[in-house]
Amino acid sequence: MKSTKRLARLVLLCGLSIVGAVARGDEPAASLTFEEHIRPILKAHCFHCHGGEDETEGGLDLRLRRLMADGGDSGPAIMPGKRDESLLYQRVAAGEMPPSQDKLSAADVALIGEWIDAGAATARDEPETLKPGLQITAEERAFWSFQPIPAAVPIPSFSASDRVSTPIDAFLARALRAKELSFSPEADKAVLLKRAYFDLIGLPPSREELAAFLSDDDPQAYELAIDRLLASPHYGERWGRYWLDVAGYADSDGYTSEDRVRPFAYKYRDYVIRSLNADKPFDRFITEQLAGDELTDGNFSQLTPEKIELLSATGFLRMAADGTATGGIDKDLAANQVMADTIKIVSTSLLGLSVGCAQCHDHRYDPIPQTDYYRLRAVFEPAYDWKHWRTPDARLVSMWTDADRAKAAEVDAEAAKVRAEREARQAALIAEAFTKELEKFPEDQRDRLREAFDTAADQRTDEQNKLVELNPKLNISAGVLYQYNPGAAEELKKFDERINAITAKKPFQDFIPVMSEVPGQVPETFLFHRGDHEQPQQSIAPGTLTVCAPPDAVVDIAANSPALPTTGRRLALAHWLTGPGNPLTARVLVNRVWMKHFGRGLVNTPADFGAMGETPSHPELLDWLARDFIEGGWKLKRLHKLIMTSTAYRQASAYDEQAAAVDADNRLYWRMPVQRLDAEAVRDRILATTGVLNLKQFGSPVPVKEDAVGQIVVGPDVPEGSDSPVGHEAFRRSVYVQVRRSQPLAMLHAFDQPVMETNCERRVVSTVATQALMLMNSDFILDQAGYFATRIRKEAGGDPTRQVQTAWQLAFGRSPEPDELKRSLAFLAAQTSVAPPAAPPAAAGAAPPAAAETASPEKVDPLVNLCQVLLSTNEFLYVE
Amino acid sequence: MQSPHYRTRREFLATSALGMGSVALAALLRDEQLLAAPHIPRIGRAFDLSAKPPHAPPKAQAMISLFMHGGPSHVDLLDPKPELTRHDGTDYQGDITYSFKNRASKKLLGSPWKFAKHGQCGTEVSELLPHLAGIVDDVAVIRSMHTDINGHEPSIWFMNTGKAQPGRPSLGAWMTYALGSETQDLPAYVVLSDPGGHPVDGVRNWSNGWLPPLYQGTVVRPTEPRILNLDPPEHLRGLRQQQNLELLSDLNRMHLERHPGENDLEARIVSYELAARMQSAAKEALDISSESEATRKLYGLDDDATAEYGTRCLIARRLVERGVRFVQLFLGGQPWDNHNNIRETLPAICRRTDKPSAALVTDLKQRGLLDTTLVHWGGEIGRLPVTEGEGDKCGRDHNGQGYSMWLAGGGIRGGITYGQTDEFGHRAAVDPVTPNDYQATLLHLFGMDHTQLSFHYNGQDQKLTDNRPCRVVNEWLA
Repeated sequence: MKSTKRLARLVLLCGLSIVGAVARGDEPAASLTFEEHIRPILKAHCFHCHGGEDETEGGLDLRLRRLMADGGDSGPAIMPGKRDESLLYQRVAAGEMPPSQDKLSAADVALIGEWIDAGAATARDEPETLKPGLQITAEERAFWSFQPIPAAVPIPSFSASDRVSTPIDAFLARALRAKELSFSPEADKAVLLKRAYFDLIGLPPSREELAAFLSDDDPQAYELAIDRLLASPHYGERWGRYWLDVAGYADSDGYTSEDRVRPFAYKYRDYVIRSLNADKPFDRFITEQLAGDELTDGNFSQLTPEKIELLSATGFLRMAADGTATGGIDKDLAANQVMADTIKIVSTSLLGLSVGCAQCHDHRYDPIPQTDYYRLRAVFEPAYDWKHWRTPDARLVSMWTDADRAKAAEVDAEAAKVRAEREARQAALIAEAFTKELEKFPEDQRDRLREAFDTAADQRTDEQNKLVELNPKLNISAGVLYQYNPGAAEELKKFDERINAITAKKPFQDFIPVMSEVPGQVPETFLFHRGDHEQPQQSIAPGTLTVCAPPDAVVDIAANSPALPTTGRRLALAHWLTGPGNPLTARVLVNRVWMKHFGRGLVNTPADFGAMGETPSHPELLDWLARDFIEGGWKLKRLHKLIMTSTAYRQASAYDEQAAAVDADNRLYWRMPVQRLDAEAVRDRILATTGVLNLKQFGSPVPVKEDAVGQIVVGPDVPEGSDSPVGHEAFRRSVYVQVRRSQPLAMLHAFDQPVMETNCERRVVSTVATQALMLMNSDFILDQAGYFATRIRKEAGGDPTRQVQTAWQLAFGRSPEPDELKRSLAFLAAQTSVAPPAAPPAAAGAAPPAAAETASPEKVDPLVNLCQVLLSTNEFLYVE
Repeated sequence: MQSPHYRTRREFLATSALGMGSVALAALLRDEQLLAAPHIPRIGRAFDLSAKPPHAPPKAQAMISLFMHGGPSHVDLLDPKPELTRHDGTDYQGDITYSFKNRASKKLLGSPWKFAKHGQCGTEVSELLPHLAGIVDDVAVIRSMHTDINGHEPSIWFMNTGKAQPGRPSLGAWMTYALGSETQDLPAYVVLSDPGGHPVDGVRNWSNGWLPPLYQGTVVRPTEPRILNLDPPEHLRGLRQQQNLELLSDLNRMHLERHPGENDLEARIVSYELAARMQSAAKEALDISSESEATRKLYGLDDDATAEYGTRCLIARRLVERGVRFVQLFLGGQPWDNHNNIRETLPAICRRTDKPSAALVTDLKQRGLLDTTLVHWGGEIGRLPVTEGEGDKCGRDHNGQGYSMWLAGGGIRGGITYGQTDEFGHRAAVDPVTPNDYQATLLHLFGMDHTQLSFHYNGQDQKLTDNRPCRVVNEWLA
């Protein structure tokens, strides 16, 4: 069974899942039980119609073995000992059931057959009665991730030869020893420092920092370097970006092609960066994001710095795509989609479970009944309140002072006057258009038509209703007025211009996107049949995952907290998430941190700790880390240091054929893998290397735009011929570049930065020719190469050897090897002797370039060519 | 210029692997095995575009989708409605959802154009499509498509991504994710865009959604630069860039010597070689100057009305001929969205596209490529049987309840019509086909099972057909 499970998991990991005929042959049939082996198959494929819903098809309920033996309309479903006489087996083996295309695999069918042949055993006596819906079985409850995190996890013993320097190493060494493997030697100092820099702040060490570290013989030097990096203001930019991935951060609304910009979303981004820099305990960090508003007194008219921080935190719940501010969409559907996406974000980021699968029906694989989904939804319902929906703009809280407000009121009153004029004029224009349209009708019909349309909709007679229905073109609203009278739009626009001129006088208003409730307004939550908001069923009270509570109990969340102006539901959820009753969150968090350091998680499906996820490679280590994280006060920086001072982390990344033969995927951590920098680190490293990086922190994002050929680039242009582009707005760190869902920055997108549809749990790494083309030909890289050359010349002057040496120092933090130096000098000479292109070669079929490019001396500069090559090398793109 | 080469992927890898050690080759070949089980976890390893075997032997190996967005008027093109003609000018008795109210009307508008039977199969086609009429024996006309949504974008998403919701991967992204590409010298998934600009909804039409970004469509622009970042800037062109790449390769190899056994480092070295080759291969593929006079005439390159679209159809053929998996042609804006003056606007867009579209099928067939190349012609909705506006300048409003499209090649049975709309052409009435049915069927033609092709995202096995009930339409299969 274990091997089968593993295979199923691997299939999933491959993305492409191809269910093949997998024999579960080695399993002795006698040990098959309904609960462990058969029920999961039936749950995934059959319960939907035979037990999970109110009505069972054909009267057949498959939830218990005895119910199967009782059978349905067609008789008993199983005849123990005789698969061929068992309807259940016959129907699935023939592929008649399930009727959908989601058939059972041959292996599943075989397993059912074996189980029946062996007498259709159960693990224990079955209950006399069964509540409606899918119950959570003891087997499901026993799943590893639902077990409480042990209060103490014993550290394995080890010997000196295991090179254990932290408890982490003791766990890893034990697993390595079992396979006769051991840690690789320690990486050399320069490698270690670079690794630590990219890992913690996403930037390379400067030459000075590297030199100082290499010459420092203090045995504590490495640890002190880590301390410095953890204290760096850039730490939060690196690790904040990871959190923004799981939170689904974007500076635009998404959902429709309009993709409205969210000008204030950055408040949340800055909150995340600041919180991580401050090493805010993660339980507090979670609580603020879910319920920052509930930690205030609920008065948002005078914001203190503390309130600003707490409200900014709730931006976490404003990250989902939200199309409700756009016209022409189904608003109810869009509003409910925001809630569904938010539940997805919350559950994948904090619970590591795909709770979203239970929106339409009980989860097929994990013990998450549909009711649990709506219990969780009920926690968020008062804040979202889809029947009294507030669009993204309506959820902004102003940072105005009282004086600002007074001035604004004055301006508003002035604008309102003009607006009233506009309304009146618009009504007149509609009436005019109506009259004109009416004239197209025979005279004798006009009065009746006018009367019908003038009558309020709910007071029309049947005949009038018919008239209205039959003559849709007379139904002229403001929205369609332009279709009748194009001049009207022009005229009304003049009013708009006046209004705009007036409102421009308003004091600048800064906002925070906030998730909060309207006090006293508490909507009921209903379970939606098949997830359809138009089919509400029973009312559901707030709560958390049933499987995490003791058997026959549930963890309810109080529907209202009298001490707070709001319901307090989100605050209660945050307390449960970070409290002792929840086995998941701490494990999920430490696993994610581990994954970022080592390139693979202890559970390599960071958002799925359920049955379809991977089981932990080192379960006790995961538990030990989770327990230590909790006991240490949920401090991320402490965890980083623990990991980074381990022997495991300090290993060299040298490949070892013998070790690879045993453990090709390095699941046992016998070396540190070579990893490609992620998109932001690639771009930031380039900017840092060429010397133009602008380290300005926080604030409005750097806008993006489409360039002349349709590529998405950073918006602010760097003036041509500028002496010093250093520190230009366009060269800020990537975390500050606008994340427009519809306009991913070409450079970052090419290197696998995700487009935020919902959120991103794990980035993929691709190696494709488009990345190569980006580094060979894009304006971005060519400009950067130019800046790099300028920087080198400034330092090294005109001597080619010194230029190459400086280039190596700046790009890689080391001197070139003799063969590299020799090859580079030869390259510079060879490029110098290439004649500048006289005229564009006439490529057949290709149009000549639009603008006649001239081969100016800067452009044919061999040093620029060298710089571009260095920025494209593997040494530059990967860290050991 | 290098002569076109149609090497197999293995040959290519074998040659390119010479002189660089065989580890990368082994790694890439191992990827091929990935789908054949036993499975090796892919997470943490790089995704790539190498060719991958489907679940079952495929009929089709490449697809060209001539996407006719805007809503081609099926009752004037592919779906003859004698009852509609008979009731021309009378009021339609059923319910209709309009998109443009001011011009709404219940008055039925019989097609101003005549239909006639063509080919041996006798499929009826409008006089607006004389060239399609010439190839009907190779074509399956589907007359019962429906999205049940009138809007353009949601219906386009439904057709092109499996669900009327934005943000999902497009058809081409799924195809290249599942099957990779037969050529590494060209982008696996090519979008041929229109000189009139992007289609409605822009770049999202060829998005990878939540699939890895390498599966997004590569836009071939109608003017230079045809592919973004493909061409070196003038001052780097030729020897200068070649020397850049030689230095890069040398430095990377020195680096690799210090880091033996790293597949990803090798793969990236290869990716630069592929990129360099793509520069010439893409140029060559996009250059139609070597095509014969007869071919040029076939596609209508000698006629201003058809020259542009003909060129793109011809390029599409050249791309699939060279191993590109998926090519999609779009039009600028919404030329099939004939709300107004359908009597002039519809013939104009037909005139522009009919000959090249038919020529593509003819040409593929002549070259023996039609058997393995699936050609799709169609949009996201159809148009209402009632008139929008009045008089000579009238048009037709959106209709998501019923519309037509056609398919040819790649295992499609030629010479058939499938499904029916009601007597007026408003709703799909007999054998209705949803976009998911269409997607399931075309995956089937590629040897893929739509219930099995999935990507694990957000804790779920995401699928093109989104786990909704749908079927492979067996009647379409040859």
